[in-house]
Amino acid sequence: MDKKISRRDFLKVAGVGAATTAVLTGCGPASRYVTRQPYTKMPEYTYNGLSTYYATTCRECSAGCGLIVRTMQGRALKAEGNQNNPVNLGKTCARGQTTLEGLYNPDRVTDPIQRDSRGSTIAKKMDWNSAIQVVADALSKNKPDEIAFLMGLAPDHLFDLVTDLTKAIGAAAPIRFGALGMFEARATLVQAASDMFGQEGLPFFDIGNADLVFSFGANFLETWLSPVAQTRGYSQLRRGNPNRRGYFVQFEPRISQTGAKADEWIPVKPGTEALVVLAIGRLVAEANNITLPTAFSNADVNAAAAAADVSVDTLKHLASLFASARRPLAIPGGAALGESNGLQTADAVLALNALVGNIGKDGGVFLSPVAPLTDAYHRPANLKEMSDFVDLLKSGKIKVLFVHGVNPVFELPKSLGLEDAMSKVLQIISFSSFPDETALQSDYVFPDHHGLESWGYQKVATGTSSSVLSGAQPVIVPFFNTKATADVLLAAAQKIGGTLASTLKFTDELAYIQSKLSTLISEPDGFFSAPEINTFTASFQQYGGWWKTTDNRVAPSAGDALNKTFNTSAAQFNGDGDYFFLPFVAPVMAEAGANKPHLQETADPTTTVMWNTWVEINPDTAKQLGIQDDDVVSITSSAGTVEASVYVYPAIRPDTIAMPFGQGHAAYGQFAQGRGANPADLLSNSTNEAGDLAFASMKVSVKKTGKKRQLSRLEGVLGVYGKFGQQ
Amino acid sequence: MPKELKSPTSSANTAQDVQGIWGMVVDQDLCTGCQACVAACSMENNVPFVGEVDAGYGRSMQWIRIERFWQGSYPNIKATPYQPVMCQNCHNAPCEPVCPVYASVHSLSEDLNLQVYNRCVGTRYCANNCPYEARVFNWRDYMDPRQRPELVTLANHFNPDVTVRRRGVMEKCTFCIQRIRHAEDTAASENRDIRDGEVVPACAQACPASAITFGRIDDPTTKVSQAADTSRGSHLLEELGTIPHVTYLAGGA
Amino acid sequence: MIKKLFNVLNQPLGRIGIFIIALVVLSGAVWGIAQAQKPPQQPIQFPHNLHVRLGIQCLYCHPGALRGPSPGIPTETKCWGCHQQIAIQGTELPKLAAYVKNNQPIDWVPVAQVPDFVHFVHRPHIAAGLNCEDCHGNVSNMTVYQNPQVMNMGWCLNCHRAKTANNPQNNPTNDPAVAAKLEALRVKLTDCSTCHY
Repeated sequence: MDKKISRRDFLKVAGVGAATTAVLTGCGPASRYVTRQPYTKMPEYTYNGLSTYYATTCRECSAGCGLIVRTMQGRALKAEGNQNNPVNLGKTCARGQTTLEGLYNPDRVTDPIQRDSRGSTIAKKMDWNSAIQVVADALSKNKPDEIAFLMGLAPDHLFDLVTDLTKAIGAAAPIRFGALGMFEARATLVQAASDMFGQEGLPFFDIGNADLVFSFGANFLETWLSPVAQTRGYSQLRRGNPNRRGYFVQFEPRISQTGAKADEWIPVKPGTEALVVLAIGRLVAEANNITLPTAFSNADVNAAAAAADVSVDTLKHLASLFASARRPLAIPGGAALGESNGLQTADAVLALNALVGNIGKDGGVFLSPVAPLTDAYHRPANLKEMSDFVDLLKSGKIKVLFVHGVNPVFELPKSLGLEDAMSKVLQIISFSSFPDETALQSDYVFPDHHGLESWGYQKVATGTSSSVLSGAQPVIVPFFNTKATADVLLAAAQKIGGTLASTLKFTDELAYIQSKLSTLISEPDGFFSAPEINTFTASFQQYGGWWKTTDNRVAPSAGDALNKTFNTSAAQFNGDGDYFFLPFVAPVMAEAGANKPHLQETADPTTTVMWNTWVEINPDTAKQLGIQDDDVVSITSSAGTVEASVYVYPAIRPDTIAMPFGQGHAAYGQFAQGRGANPADLLSNSTNEAGDLAFASMKVSVKKTGKKRQLSRLEGVLGVYGKFGQQ
Repeated sequence: MPKELKSPTSSANTAQDVQGIWGMVVDQDLCTGCQACVAACSMENNVPFVGEVDAGYGRSMQWIRIERFWQGSYPNIKATPYQPVMCQNCHNAPCEPVCPVYASVHSLSEDLNLQVYNRCVGTRYCANNCPYEARVFNWRDYMDPRQRPELVTLANHFNPDVTVRRRGVMEKCTFCIQRIRHAEDTAASENRDIRDGEVVPACAQACPASAITFGRIDDPTTKVSQAADTSRGSHLLEELGTIPHVTYLAGGA
Repeated sequence: MIKKLFNVLNQPLGRIGIFIIALVVLSGAVWGIAQAQKPPQQPIQFPHNLHVRLGIQCLYCHPGALRGPSPGIPTETKCWGCHQQIAIQGTELPKLAAYVKNNQPIDWVPVAQVPDFVHFVHRPHIAAGLNCEDCHGNVSNMTVYQNPQVMNMGWCLNCHRAKTANNPQNNPTNDPAVAAKLEALRVKLTDCSTCHY
């Protein structure tokens, strides 16, 4: 029998082996079941399998880092840094990387909705025309002083538009707020600059060119101001000069992610930072044989050492380091500013810089460049102003409240009573893209596009030496039925007519942005220039912004910095608990990352905890209290109580307990909701001298609850035999 | 005086005229532990998230992790420099000889370790034998939108250049081989060699401190070869003789 | 227990049973594979033969092959570029006209596909001098496209090996330098990571 086996038949038989393997492994990868938009509906210029890249701006925080987003066939695939943008020079942080999980988040608000009642998840979908009508009615049927806008730190173009709008109708200017700004104590930094240099502006710390950095609580490698730019500075500090490696000392009650990189950690007692700074100043002046300036004349080294729980020798050693360094730099930040004497600490640190004469010099302190399109740095509202705003809401004078880009119900201390105040407002309209706590307490949610679907610009507040306007453009067609808030407001203005319509006579968001950009055409020193606005806008989109090629940092005069008198008392603390309470912004998650599953699963750098909130307690304290890892404790302050699992943390003062801010959401989608605890619930509304929240001014008591809830952590594995979860 | 490190090229049994032997240098003095590389890797390589409970069991899937250890106790405690650990792409890779189905194989042309997903039957011998714990296993169908409805929209950012793995498959860092292939193809289409710095893996691309350098280690003129050639350089668990392709530069003074 | 089972199965009837089960499993697998090779139903019975004979180049409708991984399947706008000039007649053209009128995508079903753990890139294959018909067969004889052969790994590797073998066809002068290049290329082209990642 000579049956010819064809090649095809042979392969079929040969395929049997493969088929068996396929059965064993389960028939191939799962992406087969991934549904995607039809590739048959692509514009002809989109080649299959080739990517298109768009330059835009990251909206995960207000730093204004440039992004290049890789897209393929209408889907955004990967966000990377824009190498042109001077803020981040092609780099991003973890939050920037996961911005796509916000864009494609399954919990986004997909359509404009009207809630049955506040707090209810039952809502009626609306169409955009009636949504615009609701906004138009709200703006026209209420008196100007009954309208309030609450905005986030990003994006700036919308803030400018709302400012123009409120001016046109005669309403109060929009209030700007953000949890990061609150924990950064921006108002304190600005106030300190004006106290010490007599000049307004956000201080700029030239870490990269320094050779010794003393950081008083500043978490500048985490979330503080412009972390990507500051990390670049740190990198330069360590290895920028092959002949020397910059030295770094961190003063803080617990080792933070930033503190872990320090050569020396000085665990100063909370509230005594200012005393330590002044004592070091005095010792530096003595070491350098300078006549003791007024600023440090009150300092008592021995008393400061005793109060701060640091030895006099250590202070002397630190002072001699600072005195002998070529380019020493001291940075105030973090919890040191969030204490009742936070402004004094900031002032004292700037005075210490003035003492070594680094104000306005390389490796020293400058004022940040003023961004294009603005006359000066305008800081967000401090807690004092927010608390006034909440009082205004409580008074019932405000009939309609618009909220965009911020989640104050989650972010503000509960003790401020915002939720209660909101109930006095007749109508609340949220423009949130996500179902966050504030959107849940609104009557309407008219979802804005995600940042990657939006036009816009961001005025860069700090981070780089040049004046930068980062530009945003949509990288994909809006994924859901959302609408740009700017477009909603512009359309509402046209509906209302009158002077408002003629002031805001723009066809759309982009036309508004172009009208702003047109002033930059004649501006000198731009890294590109164009003869007219369309060409300018094209380049603005292509490069992802416009910035100057010159050094625009302001070198302030040290002025009377050294002639100021400081009082030498430690900070005041609220409550009668035994432990200092130190809330800090979770380094990876920050204030709004909790709805991104990959950020949730990214281990915290120092504790390696994932997906939850932990309480850091020193091992000795834990032993004293009979607490072990993963025990649930209740922490009580004068403002409230929260429960969370313990992480016995070896690098924290025994009299301090710390807790990350970022979890504990009551809403905000499936990945965030009902997970962990919110330390803001423990905070009172006491402020420092600059009106910023004194978030590190609480004393709390810790109690064992008897429950145990294991924390997921990368470092230790329970193994398949351990029982994980609630017990 | 640079310490003598065994280089993967010194005893490499590779073909001539290939596009390059790839390696990485991680400067621990610069790494700030910020986790940007972890997030970048996950987003580039379709690495799934496993949720709190599975993560608690040690099943989190990241291809790169940042290790930190404590030295001493309060108040004289210090964190060791952050150490990002990914697959070291050993020249003598312990994972390879134990795989019964040749799913963990060596690339002869580039001296890399490969994981062939369609061969893998999930014995996990390779992970057991990996001294760096660089391999992660798909305990469930983490990427299947039918089992995880939240992925229906999230799947839109999956990278089409990287296979979506399913249950029972072992995986690990690939040095972003899809980017290497892309760069090779671009270079070939322009009839030139790959330039130094043309291939940037997702982790190195994201790193705000520029702590990660990637490139050809068979060419002494590249940035990565020069960065590796300092007295600070070392390999992880050098005594095992695995000859990794990743060099760590010591942190601290 | 196992010994008992073995004794039962080791009888003539048991052997026949095992044989039948094996046969069923095998034929099932063969049937399944054959099923997988059947060309799928397309929304429009597109006559490739007609278009090829009219002299339209493959790359006119599938231009991606020259530049990247995927050649692309044309959208209805591309078809309409020509067909708006041509009378709408027969059974298939009205369908196209309807797609265009409703601005609907045509849901073509890709036929020449590899599993998604394989990353096939067209560009280097064309750059290496392969013609479309080398893999896709004589399309001028097909109406609806079907694969001329099973596209599996053996088929890929056969070609990669043949094209890099040191034989008179690839290396007519038996030049050792060329032989070394071919050897290197063979190592590269038979490396798992060339296609699997």
